[in-house]
Amino acid sequence: MYGIADLDNCYVSCERVFRPDLKGVPVVVLSNNDGCVVARSNEAKAMGIKEGTPYFQLAQQFPGQKIAVFSSNYELYGELTSRVVSIIRQETPAYFRYSIDECFMYLDGIELDQLQTWGEHLHKRVKREVGMPISIGLAPNKTLAKIASKLAKKFEAYRHCCMIDTDYKREKALEWCPIEDVWGIGRRYSAKLQALGCKTALDFAKHHKDWVRLTFNNINIVRTWQELNGEDVVPNEELAKKKSICTSRSFNGMISDIDGLRTHVSNYAARCAEKLRRQNTVATIVGVFVNTNLFREDLAQYWNYQETRLLTPSSSTSTIVKAAHSILEKIYRQGYQYKKAGVIVMGIGPDSPIQQDLFDINAEQFQKMKRLDEVIDRINRLHGSETIVLGSQQYTKPDGKGKADVFANAIKHDHKSQNPTTRWSDIIKLK
Amino acid sequence: MGNIKIRKGVFDTRMELVHASVAAGFPNQSDDYSHDALDFNRDYIKHPEASFYGEVEGESMIEAGIFDGDRVIIDRAVEPSHNSIVVAWWDGGFTMKYLDLTHRNDGYIELRPANPNFPVFKIDNPEEFEIWGTVIHLIRTFEK
Repeated sequence: MYGIADLDNCYVSCERVFRPDLKGVPVVVLSNNDGCVVARSNEAKAMGIKEGTPYFQLAQQFPGQKIAVFSSNYELYGELTSRVVSIIRQETPAYFRYSIDECFMYLDGIELDQLQTWGEHLHKRVKREVGMPISIGLAPNKTLAKIASKLAKKFEAYRHCCMIDTDYKREKALEWCPIEDVWGIGRRYSAKLQALGCKTALDFAKHHKDWVRLTFNNINIVRTWQELNGEDVVPNEELAKKKSICTSRSFNGMISDIDGLRTHVSNYAARCAEKLRRQNTVATIVGVFVNTNLFREDLAQYWNYQETRLLTPSSSTSTIVKAAHSILEKIYRQGYQYKKAGVIVMGIGPDSPIQQDLFDINAEQFQKMKRLDEVIDRINRLHGSETIVLGSQQYTKPDGKGKADVFANAIKHDHKSQNPTTRWSDIIKLK
Repeated sequence: MGNIKIRKGVFDTRMELVHASVAAGFPNQSDDYSHDALDFNRDYIKHPEASFYGEVEGESMIEAGIFDGDRVIIDRAVEPSHNSIVVAWWDGGFTMKYLDLTHRNDGYIELRPANPNFPVFKIDNPEEFEIWGTVIHLIRTFEK
């Protein structure tokens, strides 16, 4: 059996952990720069607030109504969701974190007749220990598990855990599920399916396999159809998207100081970003490794690798270089002669549309960054590689007060909550 | 110099004895010598996913030995019981008090301060109240 744990209204739930008074109150979270609504509580959805509503229109559209508004606080969301993943890791035989608010689980070690109880226990544990609600879907494959989690979220009677383990339950679930909500059916295909009379997942699943094959000629759609009919065929690699890009090189001599390493790592990261952009893709995970000269047995040996997850999949040079820097800070140890370093980007997908729930920048800014990167690429192609580079690719002045600081301070987040789990200055005050 | 040699000799002998006992089939007791260093996070934070920090403001728990400016560790995985020190959301903010369950069956519970100059809160409206976590440790720094 597979499971998926889905954090309900993830960002809103994070904000509510330290604001119990916002239970039952409409809450929205805004995109970076307070641009538009990216997350809504159930109450906000019920009011009719739409995802993507520009912030300045909220007051006009809903005059006189009380809505709690937060600027996005990814530091908080990242820390709290990693607590949830950590609990899932303890409770499951195997898991795969699919996005900031979804985790796939492989449950083969757990007895079938225990699964419902287990799922309810997992929900209770996460709710009590981290303070966040999750919905759990259990089914014989990943596509059905996704639908089960939607049912668990929608209907209270499931007690946050819905299991599809009989054909009867499967058909009931498919009948309820609109075709556009099926995992793996993109907007384009769902429009086509609707035009062909498939309003629900069941309408689609009832078609003959040959019809699906002839109509779409697409292996992924056929797989989705198979899974809706109970088979387990979507490969796990589809989740992991193991495809990666690696840029690494041995240095001419050896490097011992972090500034020297940083320059190289910046260049490798920038090259990875360029490759991503060339194939119109974005990456989710950035990894960095360093090692000493393995052939010099007379010298102290050290190697390390770590990775980090980007909040929004990105191909932006500055984003990937920044991520690589923060990893290098973590793995660098003084007192070694380094011979080689490398940057790896993983979790690669098409660069649009970027999954909405992963938004940490508004669309306009994203486009601007993309244009900037494109201009850098073009100039470098015309005038030779690295004619234009980011400041950090060249050198970094300690405590520099360059343009980067001016930009960082210009970002608007008027309604940002505190960071009680990551900063001592923000821990909760007890009267 | 003589002393050092003797010590070396003792050390070597012990090594040989250990080897001898392994060969004879006795358990190798020197395995028990290795212990990791004490680690506050590992040994005191039993539920890292459920642990949060708080800073004390005011004197309401002074007779429990908790002073203004102290820090506490809150564990949400620990079920509070009668007389636990808890963090609760009440009256628009977090408060830390003794949990008094004496009157639970009479339809209310109480939050008791450890200072006679502060009032006891009687909670009979659970809608605006939430026990947020149980206080399990106190941290006070004497010298910075």
